[in-house]
Parts: sequence; structure tokens; C-alpha cells
Amino acid sequence: MNLLQRAWCSVIRKPVRSILLLLVICIISLLFLSGMASQTANIATKDSTRQAIGAGFLMTKNAENESKRVEELSLKLGDKEGSLEGYHQKKELIDGQTMWRTWTDNVFHCIKTEDIDKIAGVEGISDYNITTAPTRVKASEFERIEDPDVDQTNDFGGVALLGNRDMKLDANVLSGNVSIKEGHMVAPSDKDVCVISEELAEKNGLKVGDTIGFHPIKEEEPVSEAKIIGIYQVKEKMTPYMSGDTYRSENVIFTDLHFPEKAEQDTPLFECAYFKVGNVDDYESVKERIKALDLDWELYDLIDNNGNLNTMAENFNNLENISETMLWIVAGGSFVILFLIFLFWIRNRNNEIGVLLSLGISKSKILLQIVTEAFMIGIIAICISFVVAPATSQAAATYLVGQQEEQAQLEKDAVEGQVSTEYKDVKLTITGVQAEVTKDMLIVDGLGIGALIILSTSAASILIFRKNPKNILSEMS
Amino acid sequence: MILQAKDLSYAYKTKKDRLVLKQVSAEFEEGRFYAVVGSSGSGKTTFLSLLAGLDSPVDGMVKYMDEDIQRKGLNYHRKHHISLVFQNYNLIDYLTTEENVRLGGSKNPGSLLDKVSIPCEDWKRNVLQLSGGQQQRVAIARALASEARVLLADEPTGNLDEDTTQKIIELLKKMAHEHGKCVIVVTHSKTLANEADEIMEIDRGMLKKREKFKLDKEAI
Repeated sequence: MNLLQRAWCSVIRKPVRSILLLLVICIISLLFLSGMASQTANIATKDSTRQAIGAGFLMTKNAENESKRVEELSLKLGDKEGSLEGYHQKKELIDGQTMWRTWTDNVFHCIKTEDIDKIAGVEGISDYNITTAPTRVKASEFERIEDPDVDQTNDFGGVALLGNRDMKLDANVLSGNVSIKEGHMVAPSDKDVCVISEELAEKNGLKVGDTIGFHPIKEEEPVSEAKIIGIYQVKEKMTPYMSGDTYRSENVIFTDLHFPEKAEQDTPLFECAYFKVGNVDDYESVKERIKALDLDWELYDLIDNNGNLNTMAENFNNLENISETMLWIVAGGSFVILFLIFLFWIRNRNNEIGVLLSLGISKSKILLQIVTEAFMIGIIAICISFVVAPATSQAAATYLVGQQEEQAQLEKDAVEGQVSTEYKDVKLTITGVQAEVTKDMLIVDGLGIGALIILSTSAASILIFRKNPKNILSEMS
Repeated sequence: MILQAKDLSYAYKTKKDRLVLKQVSAEFEEGRFYAVVGSSGSGKTTFLSLLAGLDSPVDGMVKYMDEDIQRKGLNYHRKHHISLVFQNYNLIDYLTTEENVRLGGSKNPGSLLDKVSIPCEDWKRNVLQLSGGQQQRVAIARALASEARVLLADEPTGNLDEDTTQKIIELLKKMAHEHGKCVIVVTHSKTLANEADEIMEIDRGMLKKREKFKLDKEAI
């Protein structure tokens, strides 16, 4: 009887032992495949930003590029004090020591209007909007909304102005969250106008047609006045730009595009621009025309309704790390489990090993027989797991995403009340998780299981194979 | 002379200073039936293990056809030179009667099973379904299957009743005298020892030849 015949007889005629190992390997294989599939799972999400974009494009500054530009400008200025393209560096004496102070201003962060104009001029773009960053200013002779239970010491004590060229194309309006209750929205031709929240209007007894004033945070003068042309309402509180009551939803005041810079007494800070596609059917061709423009694309992120064309951050890049950790844990755990199974297996086969040794069969051939048996069972187990894997991988990926969502919610709940805000975050809704088991994954899974079997059987066999045949036969009798 | 023990000494690894066998020498020939007797713990099973190449002596050597068995390796010696029969049969539990015999190397296990009087209806049965006597006969058939010229048996009748013991003794004698094998049996059984052509006794690690037992008076 050769090794293969013996191995086959052992597998077939010891069904309980074989089925146990088959189940264990099958589960290990499924965990491996699920982990790998989850690593590359495609999570379809829907957030208010993308939802708001619709048939259009949103242009924002690329944060990564901004850090790079700071380094470049710093190098250009060298050891000299000075300013360049909104970047400043100055020597200051602090505690008797000369230190460098560096900062950037609105010029540095502002989207270039000539770039906005270039995109706005592309054939197929029917309309566009520019939105400023929320600009903090102080209210003059009206009261903002405050949480009476929150310490306002670290807050600016102001309100936030959000300038728009055309308010109907503001992201908050496009998403359907902000709507006009009274009056009308800011149009491109408007100047020194504002739209306030219904809460702010109610608190101060303000109505459409009234005028309210604002001044910079650090100075009482000059006061810039804006006429209230509308009162808005929200479905859900807008996400605050920063914590603190200055940026709370009720204190956000929509203005015309240039009013924030006037009230703040600074240069403009255009944070994003939105470009509406006239005919939805032309969406792809318009996109290609935009991409073909002579623009320094490194400066910007251009987000379409499917996500970022360039560098939009993944919302669930953590999933890959979690899956990888899971794979390592499964590998380690599997090794221990298989090692214990084989140890038990080999110890129970003391008699057989003794007989085979007495027949002159070498230890390495006996080990090879055990490995062969494990492989016979392993191959069947892997085949079963390949059939079941698509369903389990999908379930595992969905579960992991669900866990992450739950974890995020728990973290949010844990910090609730610790910051001076009542706002609700932008809701990220998961619309689907797609986990695919690829051919490469099956190959990696097969090789991984094979390696685990070899390692665990070899490790388990050390104990018995260290003994000489006489000792083994003595234990038998 | 087919097998020779030359100045064999053996000590357990845990008690290296205490020799179980002390310079034991013996010679064994084909066609003869040898019995090795001795009290429990005298070292007779250890002696058999060294002859079988299941362990190595601390001193001395075992020679097969005048060649040290270590030269070709103990595995080789066990596979080609000797066959073993144990007290507890040591058959593989997931194989049939026939497959256990085939394990010894035979391509025609039926004829061997015939020789040891195992009826053909039992050939395909799982070996554990046979009686103790039948299992021991299967073990002997497996030993015959290897075509080795030396058969070593450790208490082959230890678990068997008188009738079956007698059958096994006949079988072992037949193997020595008819098949020309060198049969070496370690035993406590005076009946079995008396059937041997030569009796050797191990006493306190030393080997000496002895006369046949007087069954009504002597005890081992």
C-alpha cells in the first residue's frame, strides 16, 4: 500500500475526524475570503454633498496641495522675511529667542476667479455659483442664538456669513435642506443683502426688508449693513464649520458673494464653486471638456455626482485596515486551532505511527501521509468555501461596514454634550456594499490554507517525531 | 549466521549510568527458532528492540549478514531485513485484513492469509472485527509479507488463550523450519519457550543460553 492509498483510506474510513477538519478548514477559508473581499469592497454611499451636486460639478481647493505649496513658497522666500501668494513668514522674538512665524491668508486659500470663469465658460455649463468660506463677524445691535448651558469663553461670540453668487445653487439649498420661508434668495445681481434663519428672525423680531449690521470680530468699526431679503428654514441643522455657537446652524446668514469680505474687512475667500450642466445628457461630454481645460488641476478637487474626479477622500478607507487586521487574526487563530487539531490527531495515531515505523517507513513519509490527508480534506473544504464565499463575503463586508457605522455613532454619542453644538452631522447613508471574490483571492486563499496546513502539521508532529520508534511502541503497549 | 548482536550495551537516556544490557553478544541463524526469556524488566524487550533497529545501543552493534545495521540505516533494516510481531497485534484500525497484510509489502495478501488460516470471507472486513487470535495471525501474515529473513516477535501469545497460543506456536515453528526464517521470540511463556530450538535467558542485563524448562516445577 502506498502513501496515497493509506491517506485516502484514513480520510474515508475515519469520517468523524475528517468532517471535523473539513468544517474547520472550510470556516478558515471562508474567513480568509471574506476578509480579502471586504478589503476591496465597494461601498456605495450617499452624502448630502454628492446628493446636492446633481447634474453639476463642485470645485474645491485640494488640501494636500496647499501643504505642498506652503513648503514651496517657504523655500522660495528662503531665510528672508516676506510674503508670497498669500503665504507670510516673519521673525519674532519670543522669550528672548528669535522664532519664525508663518501663516497664510485668504489670498492663499481662495479659488482663483479666472479659473472659475474658465470653467463657467465651458460649453454645456448653464449656470454657476461661488460660495465663500463661513466668515465670522460680530452682530451689531441684534442677538445671535446661544446655548445657555454652554460656556462661550472660547467662542468668537459672532455669527457666520456665507456668501453666494447665486444662493439657489448653494449646496445647502441644492440638497433640499435649506428652503425659503419668506422673501427670496440671493441672486447674482444683489449687493449688501442677506437671508437669515427663522430662529434668528424670531429672536430679534426681524422681518424681510429690515437692515442688520455686522462688524469685524476684533473691532467695533466699520459696521457693514445688509438688507434682509429672505428668511430661511432648515430640515436638519446645518453642519457647523467649527464647534461653537458662532457657526451653529441658526447663526448662519446667507449673503451676496462680496458681503462677507466687506463685513470682515479682508480679502475674499471663495471656498468652492459649483457649475450646473444645462443638459443632463451632455454630462459626460461636459466633464471631458472641463478636464481638457488649461488649469492647474493640482490646486483643485473637482467632484462630480459620482464622487471626486481627482482626489476625493474615501469615506471608508478604514475598512481596508480592519479587514487586514481581521486577516492576520484569522491566520494566527487558524494556525493555533489547526495546530491543536493536528496535535490531537497525531497523538491519537500513536499506534499507527508505531506500526508504520516498525515496518521501516520513515518519519518523513509518515508526516507526508498526514499532510496528504489534511490536503485531501483541505481541497474539498476549499472547494466548498469557494462556492459559499460570495454570499458570506457579502455578509461579512456588510457586517463590517455596519459595525463601523455603529462605532462612529457610539463615538459621536460619547462626545455629545461635550462641545457647544446641537448640530447634526451630514448624514452619510450607505446605499449598498458590494464584496467580490476574485480569482486572485481564491489563489491566495488556497495557498494560504496550504501553508497553514503544512506549518501546523509540522509543528504538531515535532512532539511525536522527536521520540524514537521504541518509545512510541512502548507507549502503545 | 544472519543476525548478530555484538557486545550490546544499553541504558535509558534518563538513567545513563545504569545499564539495562551489559555487553550482550548472540548469534542467530536462518531456519531456527529462538526464544528469549527473562523476568520482567530484565531487558529482553530492549534486546529485541535493538535487534529490530527500533533503538540504538550505547555500545556495541547489531550486524545483519555481517554488516552493521547502522550503515544502511535503521529504517532500511526494519523495512528489508526484519519483520515484527507484537503482543497487542498492532494492526492499523482503518484498514481491512487484506490491506494490513498488503502494508507489509505483499501484492498477493490472499495466499499469506491462507497460510495463517484466515478464511477469505474475513479478508475484506475491518481488522478490528476479527478475534484476538485472528488479529495476531494477520500480524504474522503481515510479517511474512515483507519477505524479510528475520522475524522478531515480542510476546506474540501474551493475550491469547491456550488453543490459539498453540496455533501461533505452530505457525512460528513452521516459519522457521519450513520457510527458513530466523524466528526470535521474546516471551514469558514456558510452553512457547520450550518449543524453540534454542532458549536464551537475560538476567540482570546479561545473556546466557539455558536448557528447556521443566514445566511441572520451574518458573521463570
